[in-house]
Amino acid sequence: MAAIAARRGFGFALPALALLVAFFVMPVMWLLLRSVTEPGLGFQNYATLFGTATYAKVFLNTFMVAGIVTVITLLLAFPVAWALVILPPRWSMVLFAIVILSMWTNLLARTYAWMVLLQRTGLVNQILMGLGITDAPLELVNNLIGVTIGMVYIMLPFMILPIYGVIRQIDASVLQAASLCGATRWQALWRVLLPLCVPGIASGVLMVFVMALGYYVTPSLLGGTSHMMLAELIAQLVQSLVNWGLGGAAAFVLLVATLALYALQIRLVGLPKGAQ
Amino acid sequence: MKYAMIAAALVVAAPAVAQDMVFTSWGGTTQDAQTEFWADPFAESSGTGVLQDGPTDYGKLKAMVEAGSPTWDVVDVEFDYALQAGQQGLLEPLDFAVIDKSKLDPRFVSEYAVGSFYYSFVLGSNPSAFPEAPQTYADLFDTEKFPGKRTFYKWSAPGVIEAALLADGVAPDALYPLDLDRAFAKLDTIKSEIIWWTSGAQSQQLLASGEAPLGIFWNGRLAALQADGMDVNIAWDQNITAADALVVPKGAANKDAAMAFIAEATSARGQAEFAAATGYAPINIEAADLMDPEIRATLPDAQSAPQIDADMAYWAEHRDEIGSRWYAWQAE
Repeated sequence: MAAIAARRGFGFALPALALLVAFFVMPVMWLLLRSVTEPGLGFQNYATLFGTATYAKVFLNTFMVAGIVTVITLLLAFPVAWALVILPPRWSMVLFAIVILSMWTNLLARTYAWMVLLQRTGLVNQILMGLGITDAPLELVNNLIGVTIGMVYIMLPFMILPIYGVIRQIDASVLQAASLCGATRWQALWRVLLPLCVPGIASGVLMVFVMALGYYVTPSLLGGTSHMMLAELIAQLVQSLVNWGLGGAAAFVLLVATLALYALQIRLVGLPKGAQ
Repeated sequence: MKYAMIAAALVVAAPAVAQDMVFTSWGGTTQDAQTEFWADPFAESSGTGVLQDGPTDYGKLKAMVEAGSPTWDVVDVEFDYALQAGQQGLLEPLDFAVIDKSKLDPRFVSEYAVGSFYYSFVLGSNPSAFPEAPQTYADLFDTEKFPGKRTFYKWSAPGVIEAALLADGVAPDALYPLDLDRAFAKLDTIKSEIIWWTSGAQSQQLLASGEAPLGIFWNGRLAALQADGMDVNIAWDQNITAADALVVPKGAANKDAAMAFIAEATSARGQAEFAAATGYAPINIEAADLMDPEIRATLPDAQSAPQIDADMAYWAEHRDEIGSRWYAWQAE
């Protein structure tokens, strides 16, 4: 019965689905098809992609940057999510507004702002030098540091919100019980709170990691070329070299990696909320 | 009678249903000037509205032509790409009954493309960083005498490779065919000091902020900085010229309007006004007479310093090969 009831609304989804098929699925399929038909039938594009040291390095960079960004985002997001739950409502609302507002500002504008803040003559370097922390300006942009700072900042809300979601549902008496049973604060955190947060952490980590894998704007504006990521490579191949076969192959690899991680997420923590 | 009325109605209605054409360029101040000095006057004289689109994207252009229904009628592209795309059958041959090529600089005329404007890659530097301005490409590669980041155009295009070879002592008339091994070896010596710019605006920001106090720039962008009151050193010695081209994608919906638009854009008036506003040089040989001599003197084609023309035919032929190597080297 429940299954039928759930299916009843499906018709209303058709217009949106048709739109996605026509303007997303079909063009993607078409590009993927090119990867095995251009310049000739076969898998030579994939052989080139995996057989060239430079491209292998780009894959490695992509996963490395996504990994670094995910770990740092998690470390920063957890205390914020925790604060959102325990702060008095008035303060948590302010904090919430800050988190959400940052998502509403244009991505490109925010990335350009980082560019200006982080450059040699930028505010960050001026403050560091003014405080005597460093004598010469640090190189904070056009390299891995710049990419990491820019991406962590953009990803934070996507990590904070799912973790906040699970922490909020934890019954505070569980922690009381832990301390009554003699657990220290660290023990309560490690053995009671964190295990209960796993679903939120897992979904935040996977979401951030997957989004980071396909990131283009931030790495291309804040990064140098020595840590090029996959999306930048695809843009070069498609736009500048007009080599769609190889570009399609790179896109396919990215798609497979993303879908595999999504499958992993479903397996570990189930479908995202609302999709069950 | 009835038919006559319908015919009359059609004649009256015709101007109203005349289709707008689409012009695509790279955005920024360059496209603003193209709109003001080419598209607006053309729309006024011909009655055909000109819609602006952008930025130019070679992947999109190819996709549109292959799909058989390009929505772009005239596109501003790099000249070497124009030659290559013409060979690949992606472009309409230009109608030289409409476009008067006798008035155009023959360096920038081919079957499928005419020049849009031409420009120079020049060595620019920020005077606040260097008491004595770098003058040659050898200076550009001398990180001891001129410490700091250098900024170069990120995409594979004529300019930086030529500059590296010139800095390494290659004679200007021996540049082509390009010795890529030698060029990349030279670039390797300063690789960690390079910041790449992807747009003209970014190149201006890097130079003006001192983030990269020297580099190779489009001359028009440095002219714009100077017009804004910034002190910029421009070394014209061995400036490397390259051009943009106007092309019509194969199967463009408004081919006739496109040809007429190109005729207007390459007219002496269109070229003179565009050049005065952007600092790029006109490709119409009669444009010079219409320009203020003072402005004229700042343009690339009025420089007395030795000038090097990037070999567009060579680039068109080796575009893919150089590009693959260029990007692989960047990512190394």
